[in-house]
Amino acid sequence: MKPNFIQKVTNWGNFPVVEKEIRSEDTTEKIKEFVRSNNEIIARGNGRCYGDASLSEHIFSTKRLNKLISFDRLNGVFECESGVLLSEILEVAVPQGYFLYVTPGTKFITLGGAIASDVHGKNHHAEGCFSEYVLEFSLLNENGDVLKCSRTENIEKFWATIGGMGLTGIILSAKFKLKNIETAYIRQESIKAENLDAIFELFDESESWTYNVAWIDCLQKGKNIGRSIMMRGEHAFQHQLPEKLKQNPLRLKSKPIPTIPFYFPDFVLNNITVKIFNFLYFNKQSKKEVKNFVDYETFFYPLDVVNDWNKIYGKSGFIQYQMVIPKAAGKEGMRKILETIALSGNGSFLAVLKLFGDNNPLAYNSFPLEGYTLALDFKVNSKLKKLVEKLDQIVEDYGGRIYLTKDSMSKSSLTNYLQNVQNPKFVSLQHKRILNNK
Amino acid sequence: MIILGSNSEVAQAFVEKALEGGEKYAKIFLCTSNVETTQKFAKHIDVKFLQNSEIIELNIEGEIDYAKLSDLSSDLLFCATGYLGLGTEEGLFDKKNTEKIIDINYAKLVPLLNFFAEKMERQRSGTMIVLSSVAGDRGRQSNFIYGSAKAGLTAYLSGLRNYLFSKKVHVLTVKPGFMDTKMTEGLPLNPKLTATPKQAAAVIYKAYKNQRNVVYVLPVWFLIMMIIRNIPEFIFKKLKL
Repeated sequence: MKPNFIQKVTNWGNFPVVEKEIRSEDTTEKIKEFVRSNNEIIARGNGRCYGDASLSEHIFSTKRLNKLISFDRLNGVFECESGVLLSEILEVAVPQGYFLYVTPGTKFITLGGAIASDVHGKNHHAEGCFSEYVLEFSLLNENGDVLKCSRTENIEKFWATIGGMGLTGIILSAKFKLKNIETAYIRQESIKAENLDAIFELFDESESWTYNVAWIDCLQKGKNIGRSIMMRGEHAFQHQLPEKLKQNPLRLKSKPIPTIPFYFPDFVLNNITVKIFNFLYFNKQSKKEVKNFVDYETFFYPLDVVNDWNKIYGKSGFIQYQMVIPKAAGKEGMRKILETIALSGNGSFLAVLKLFGDNNPLAYNSFPLEGYTLALDFKVNSKLKKLVEKLDQIVEDYGGRIYLTKDSMSKSSLTNYLQNVQNPKFVSLQHKRILNNK
Repeated sequence: MIILGSNSEVAQAFVEKALEGGEKYAKIFLCTSNVETTQKFAKHIDVKFLQNSEIIELNIEGEIDYAKLSDLSSDLLFCATGYLGLGTEEGLFDKKNTEKIIDINYAKLVPLLNFFAEKMERQRSGTMIVLSSVAGDRGRQSNFIYGSAKAGLTAYLSGLRNYLFSKKVHVLTVKPGFMDTKMTEGLPLNPKLTATPKQAAAVIYKAYKNQRNVVYVLPVWFLIMMIIRNIPEFIFKKLKL
């Protein structure tokens, strides 16, 4: 058997699927060699971006850069290689009373991906993006040099790499701060909102909460448009916990994780099943307001409880469409977007709405802008392209833009916002697509 | 715990699996020919589990300095030392390749394992876990140099287990089948027949706890090899396997 490094590869949305070279190495020397001998390289972590951002002619998988380097348990400073998953960091940090300052909706992304996408979470309005807590990282650049980048060293590379989608090089390792927690639980409140006005009001009212996000039913029309559930939370203190959780507040019992064994046939997810799901989800909670304690897994990573959940969208895959619209025009823009989706009949099952806070002007490649962001999943089908074009137009009209980590087909005027990333070594299929469509 | 071939991903996953259960070892001895990369792993288990370890440089191809190993004592030895080398198509008549495969998988390895077997025999306790291969179950034309070396190793382990039984020392033979590791990167392996190091570690750890004698990492390999072993020779010789 001869090795053949050209393989079928695709990311979380199973769209697009390409055949490209994929390699992984575990020593800096070998990675340098790979970088020297190829052009059009992109680093890829756990393949949890949705589209073509981490695909290229030559893909460098960071899966063997999976070692922890240091953990200062006194000051909460953690250092590890870029291919380490956030889940593994949490496994080590939580029992010691630490948590990630910023986490996206899945813990199965790598540290390198978190920096390259400058991920955000339910606390963006209060605590910003992932990069706020990154102290330094080492970057293998286009010349094959390893640079230590921080706010005081190789400053330009530091900021270009943050949110830079891997186009400045391969992140080898990074050091970052963790936040103190007393317990592994979240004090949560879930509040139903009947429509868009109500949920926007709730966002304003929930600003002082560290975490807030809304799940939104985007198949509702007319006066029910924007029907949603606001979920807000704070890390619980030990004294607040119910007795039975108080005993071992930093340890969670491990739960079995079921796996979706195969791709669902296309007919499973359609407008009717999505409507039923949305109805059940909204009515699962009978009271207008529920207050409770949930473990951090339930609060931050509700979808991680099922392995390979992306397979329910079938073999042809799905996209996630996430945009942000500046706050001033937010309500009007959101209403238009929701109307367009409801009319299209291309129902999205999991739509998440969030109000971003101020962006960090230094992190110029980061996606968030102050305003409303909505993330929707759509199955890939013949009507999708048209719908994306319509949505893109609305986003453009209201001065918004698209999250590159999710993008696989949006128009380049909404995705062409990265600066200082141009070089022939590190290029992704996404970046080429954006430049070619300009 | 003593690890031979500490840079192996399966060995590292096994160490992590053993530590995840909360067990602490006085010290883990990481024997390796590749000190630099193993250092990363030593740091990793220190950060993750606060586990103390020591790296011992050991190049099985060269002269082994047994004096250096004489202080190593433990109840558990995990040996992942192995070398796939080139298969028949690329390297059958490459003398260096043939020698290296035989040396690392059998000729040089057996005396080393014997050294630790003797220690365990003296202490009258312990378990030796050794990775052999499904390739050793029957010589097939595609890689029978590797296969025959592993067949020798499997036979050695079977005899050793028999010998050590009355001395209260247990020997576990592991036959991994296809593994998703550095050794096989880029090979077109059927994913249904391929295990990740993590999966393998879980199976091996369970087999160790249950005092199993021989274990296939994926059960399907037991079936496959049973069929391959039982094909009559006059048919087998005509097959392209």
